[in-house]
This record gives sequence, C-alpha cells and structure tokens, in this order.
Amino acid sequence: MIRAILVVVILIVLGALKVPIERDLAALHRKEHFRGVEFNLDLREKLGQLGFVAALSGFRAIVADGLFIQAHVAWERTEWGRVLLLFRQVTTLQPRVILFWDMAAWHMAWNAAVAAMNDKSQPRLALRVKAQREYFALGKDFLERGIKNNPDRLQLYEALARLYKEKYKDHEHAAEFYAKAATFPHAPSYEQRFSAYERSYCEGREREAYEQLRQLYDEGVKERLPTLITRLKFLENKLGIPQDQRIPDK
Amino acid sequence: MSNEIDNLTLERFDASASARPMQTRHRAFSLARVRAITVNTLTELTRLKVFYVLLVFALLLIGSSIFMAQFTFQQEFQILKDVSLGAMSIFTSLLAIVATARLIPQDIEDRTVYTILAKPVPRLEYLLGKIAGVLLLLAISTLVMSAVFVLVLYMREQAVLHTTIRQMSAAPREQLDAAVRAVRASAFNIDMVPGITIIYLKACLLAALTLFVSTFATTNIFTIVVMAFIYFIGHLQATAREYWLQAHASGLITKIFLAVVALLFPDLQAFNLVDDIVAGTAISLGLFFKTALLGIFYTAIYTLLAAFVFYGKEL
Amino acid sequence: MRDLDLRVEPGEVFGLLGPNGSGKSTTLKIILGLVSPTRGRTEIFGRDSRLVESRVAVGFLPENPYFYKYLTGEETLRFFGRLCGLGGARLRERINELLDLVGLTKARKQRLGTYSKGMLQRIGLAQALIHHPKLLVLDEPTAGVDPAGSREIRDLIRDLRHRGITVLLSSHLLAQAQEICDRVGILADGALVREGRLEELIAIENQTELVLENASGTLLNEIEGLAARSNARVIERRKSTTTLERLFLEATKK
Repeated sequence: MIRAILVVVILIVLGALKVPIERDLAALHRKEHFRGVEFNLDLREKLGQLGFVAALSGFRAIVADGLFIQAHVAWERTEWGRVLLLFRQVTTLQPRVILFWDMAAWHMAWNAAVAAMNDKSQPRLALRVKAQREYFALGKDFLERGIKNNPDRLQLYEALARLYKEKYKDHEHAAEFYAKAATFPHAPSYEQRFSAYERSYCEGREREAYEQLRQLYDEGVKERLPTLITRLKFLENKLGIPQDQRIPDK
Repeated sequence: MSNEIDNLTLERFDASASARPMQTRHRAFSLARVRAITVNTLTELTRLKVFYVLLVFALLLIGSSIFMAQFTFQQEFQILKDVSLGAMSIFTSLLAIVATARLIPQDIEDRTVYTILAKPVPRLEYLLGKIAGVLLLLAISTLVMSAVFVLVLYMREQAVLHTTIRQMSAAPREQLDAAVRAVRASAFNIDMVPGITIIYLKACLLAALTLFVSTFATTNIFTIVVMAFIYFIGHLQATAREYWLQAHASGLITKIFLAVVALLFPDLQAFNLVDDIVAGTAISLGLFFKTALLGIFYTAIYTLLAAFVFYGKEL
Repeated sequence: MRDLDLRVEPGEVFGLLGPNGSGKSTTLKIILGLVSPTRGRTEIFGRDSRLVESRVAVGFLPENPYFYKYLTGEETLRFFGRLCGLGGARLRERINELLDLVGLTKARKQRLGTYSKGMLQRIGLAQALIHHPKLLVLDEPTAGVDPAGSREIRDLIRDLRHRGITVLLSSHLLAQAQEICDRVGILADGALVREGRLEELIAIENQTELVLENASGTLLNEIEGLAARSNARVIERRKSTTTLERLFLEATKK
C-alpha cells in the first residue's frame, strides 16, 4: 500500500519535471514543421470526434490516404463537391504533403473549372463563367493555404504561379511567384526564366524583364532557348534597344 | 495473511560438514544472468502465435501497397510509404503491449518465476532480462519489416524508372535525367531511418509501460485494456497539456483533469514524426536526438518503476 | 503463520508436514525470500534470506513446477546454470553430471513438453542442484507423481543426503515423509504443533516389534508363555504384510 502511494508520488514528481521538457520538445517539433495538426481544432470539426482521435493516434497518414483514394474515385465520377470536401479533409490531416495541396488545386482550377464551363445543364454562359471563376478561386485558396503550411518548399509557389498565368492570365502575380520559387536553393533554372517571361508581358515592367532575360542569355548557350530568344527580341523591339546591343539573329 | 515468524534459522552451517567446496562468488549485478533471461524471453516470445499473426499481417499490408498502380508514381509512393510505416508503427506498438502484458503473469502462473527468483537472481535483473527480450523482439520485427518495406519500395521504384525511361526515350538527356531524379527523390528519403528509429523507441516506451502496469495488474486482459486506454490518452496528452498550461480551461475540475493527464501520461504524439517525414519534412539531428532521448528516458523510468513495484510484490 | 521458530540442522532431511493450507508453502516461500514476513527473520547459513546472496547456498523445487516447455532438458539446466553464474566447460560438465544423477541422460535432447510428470520433477531436482547448493528446499516433491516415479525421487533425496546436502521438504503424504525424513515439524493453521526426530516422535516407548521368519507355532506359543512369565504382554500376533506400494512396484516392474 505504501509502495502504491509512493509510485503515484514518484509519477507526479517526474511528471512535473517532464512537462517542461515535453513542452520544449513540442515547440521544437512545431518549429521544424512537425505535429502541425495537433492543435488544429478545424480538424475536429471536419473529421468528427472519432476521426480526430484516430488521426492523432498514429493513423493520421493512413486516414488521409484513405480519404485521398475516395477523392480520386469521386473525381472519376466527376462529383466535384465531394472532391472539394474530401481534399479539405486530406489537406487538413496531412498539411505537409505537397502532393495533396497540388492535386486539390489542380482538380479545382483545372478539372472542375473546365467541367463547369462545359456544363450542358447550365444554358447561361454567364453562370457557367461564374462557376468556373469560383473553381479557380478554390484552387487558388488551396495553394495559398498550402504555402502557409509549407513556406519552406518551392513547389506550391510554382503551382500558384502557373495558376495565375494559365487561369487568371495575371502575369504580374505569376512573375512574382515564379521569382519566389527561384529564390530557393537548388531551384530549377526554369523558375528564373519563367518569372522573366511573365514579367515581359506586364505593362510597364518591360525594362526589368529585358534586363533579366538578357542576363540569362549572357549566362550561356544552355539558357538560349527558343522562347527566351523570341521574348528577348520582342522586348528589344518594344524598348527600342540600339541595334549594336541586340542579340544576333540565329 | 500475516506471516509472523519468530526465528527461523536454517542450518547454522558448520564449514567442516560441507560436502562440496565449490561455490561461485555472487555478484550484485551480472550481465550474464540478465542475458540468460533475455535470450530465454526472446525464445519464449518467438513461440507466440500472436507474434506471427501480427507480423504476417503487417508484411501483407506492406506488400499489398504494390498494387497501387492506378495512381501517379508520386501518389503511389506516398501511399506505399504511409501504409508501410503506419503498419510498422501499429504492429510494433501492438506487439509491445500484447507481448509484454503476459510475460510476468505467465511466469507467476507457471511458477517459473519461483525457480528463477529462488536462484541468486535479483528481481531487477529478472525484469531487465524480460524487457530486454521484448526490446530485442521489437528490434528484430522492425528490421524485418523495414527490409520488406525497402524491398517493395525498391521494386516499385525500378518498375517506375523502367517505364519512365521507355516513355521518354525520345526526350532530351536533360529532361530524362530530371524525370529519373524526380522518381528517385519521391521513392527513397534517408530521413525515414530516424523516423523508423522513433517508431521503434515509441514501441520500447509502450513495452516498458506495459511491464510497469503488469506488475500490479491482476490479469493480462486488464493490462491490455489499461494500455489501450493509455495509448489513446497518451496521444491526446499534448493537447491536454497545452490547454492546462495556457489557462484556456474553465472550471477547477476540468483543470485538475487536464493536469492529471499531462502529469501522469507520456506525450506519445512526440513520437509520431514519420507521417511528416514521408511528406518530405526534413528531420534535424538535434530534433531526432532530443526525441530519441525522451523515448529512452521514458523506457528507463517505467522499467525502474516496474522493478520498484515488483520488489514489493508477494509472489 | 504465527510464532514459528524452526531450525534445520546441517545434513538432515527435515519434513514440514501439515494439511493443505496449513502454511507449508508460505513458510518455504519466506525462506526463499519470495514472500517477506510481516515480522521476524529467516536465515540461511547465517545470511538473511531476504538478501539475494543467501540464495547462493540454496536450491528450490516448487510445487508442480512448469518449466519452459519449448526448452529441452539440457537447455533448461543450461538456463538455470547461467542464472547461477555458471558457464563454459564447468557448466557443461555439471549438466552431464546432473542428467546422469537424475537419470535423464537419454531424454536430454527432448523438449520438456514431452516429459512425464516424474521426469519433470527430476529435471526440477537437477535444476535445483545446478549450483551445488548446501540446502535443498522441495515443495511437495512427489505430489502427482506415480508410485514408481515417486520412489525414484525418494531414492534421489536419500542419495543427496548421503552426499551431505541438507534437505527441507514439505509434504502431506505422511507415509512417504516417514520413510525419508530424519526430523519433522507438523504445521497446523500456521503454527508449529510438533517438532522433533522422527523415531522419537513416533516410537511407542513401552512396545517392541519382533519379526520372525520360519517360526513354528510351538515356538511362538513358547515365546508368548515366556512373555507372560516376565510381566510383558503380547498385544498382537499376525502375519507380516508387505506394503501396498511394494506390491504395486513388484507388479508393475518391467
């Protein structure tokens, strides 16, 4: 009996000692992008109590994969509302999986948006365009939240740039996000290029774009791709660059 | 029953009457004795049917991920890794609890504990031997599962690489290299090694905790039920702890409840790093060592507490 | 248990007798430090039996022991030998010696799962002896063993006593205890009610038995007459009987 009481006392004393250690460790984990879902109350609303507990008990990744496969099936059946709902759950559960954010945005801004535009049941074009813009916004929202959860990785910046470029024709923003992607160490060389291309379409930013492209051109043959040369020539004409400073034809 | 004994003297032994002079000198602590019990426990555990059932189940789960070909390779590898590492995590935790829960009660029921403790074996050594046997079994299972997992992943990677190279045979060298790099990068990630180590340490912690519970539990079932409860509460401990300390909680009773959870339960969430590692989060050396240290610390504490209770136990 | 004061002398076989629940097993467990007494102390060769070192000098065979079924006889002895700090050639020799002593050399590679009750008890005895203890504590060593097996175990115990090993055993089989014990103590409800040398305890001081072979009726009548004349009295005259056990052993001998 005395021993039992002693054990409880020891446990409490050790508990008091370990709580600060565990807190520090948890803080370190969060700083290095682990345990992102733990205090996410949003998660509990989205998954329900049971799913929440399951997610926190070491089944998180598997639950997320299960939902992801369901989303895949919903996509094949073009149930867009369900795809959206499931991807919200998946990304809440696994906010560090780039793939899920990227897929979610792609399904919304590309697949669902195209489907909305081709929706035979909606005869009014204006409403179809409105639906399409809503899907663009959903895709953008996924990518923006994805970036918030993964500011340390470049893929979603690039995906967002692509979305601005292809769906919104917003070259200003596209250039900005490509440029951000280009700042990461080991970023592929095309990020820089794409950023400059997009900028070359921006009214009033031509000089900046020209200098960027020219610098890339001067870096060597590897950068002298057909698009780069075309854009450079376009800017040379537009800015009226003196003949002797222009790049050679072929 | 009260055992009152006035004076029970067995043989005030007269040295001259000794039949055999030989006597091994007794050591207060002996690794050889612990090792004998460890080896024995390991043999005993490998005879357990539940061990093979669980292992086969886990391996099937890992192997079945091979049929995920309808997805892109990134998706496929993501699911394969999630499912495999999830299976490893669940299997090791479950095995740690189920295997440890019956160790001591079984020995007491079979009276083997009497023969062992009637030898010059301190109770601490007995428990250390037992827990070391479980930890060894867990290590072996983890290695076997890791090997199968790596093999499956490697086979899938090779298959995907093969297809990629065939499909891109016309593409320029640079693009092909980039594609191959992308496949390789999404298959293997060296950070999975510390991730798996943490899974193992979590299982060690659970084994030691189960040993502790089993020293005062009356039946195996009781131990397992208590451990299931601890497992779930342990995963919510961090949440309870933060609510308690951030003074969000209203009401004294809620606060006391949260405090009890925070103080008495281990933070098991601290050992679920592998999900984020698969997602590509890099694990720093400092973070790994601190987490591992916490796991080792818990394992040691619970083993010592188990010994403390066991010393007072009337067998 | 209360107020138990007991001393076992070196070199003797001491039997702790009593009905079930009288505290025999508890007493033995206290001696081995498996249970601690609420009050009082026990010593083995002058060492407090709560100390682990005291167990160096004692070997124990619990009642109905189960050893690990998946081990062979040899492996079982090796395991217990290691627990006592033995190893290498010395342990191998000791194992051979003990397997020989308890007659299990042939069954050494068999798993204990296939052993009979008697064989288990004998391997148990070997295990208890592995580290050359000076004292052997046996809890109901013959319980549940058939007469032949039980005879073998009793012979072994006798043999051990000749080797100078002190034996403390508990039993509720009085006939068997009578046969091997030098001294006995009788426990009832946790108290020691009788203790002493066996022959002193059960001898009837004023009676003598005389066993004759080939005596004629006339001789017997003469003896009775002689007895009457010297104030003695013949209480009983009967044919000698063998014991049922001996009859059984004769009949089942192969």
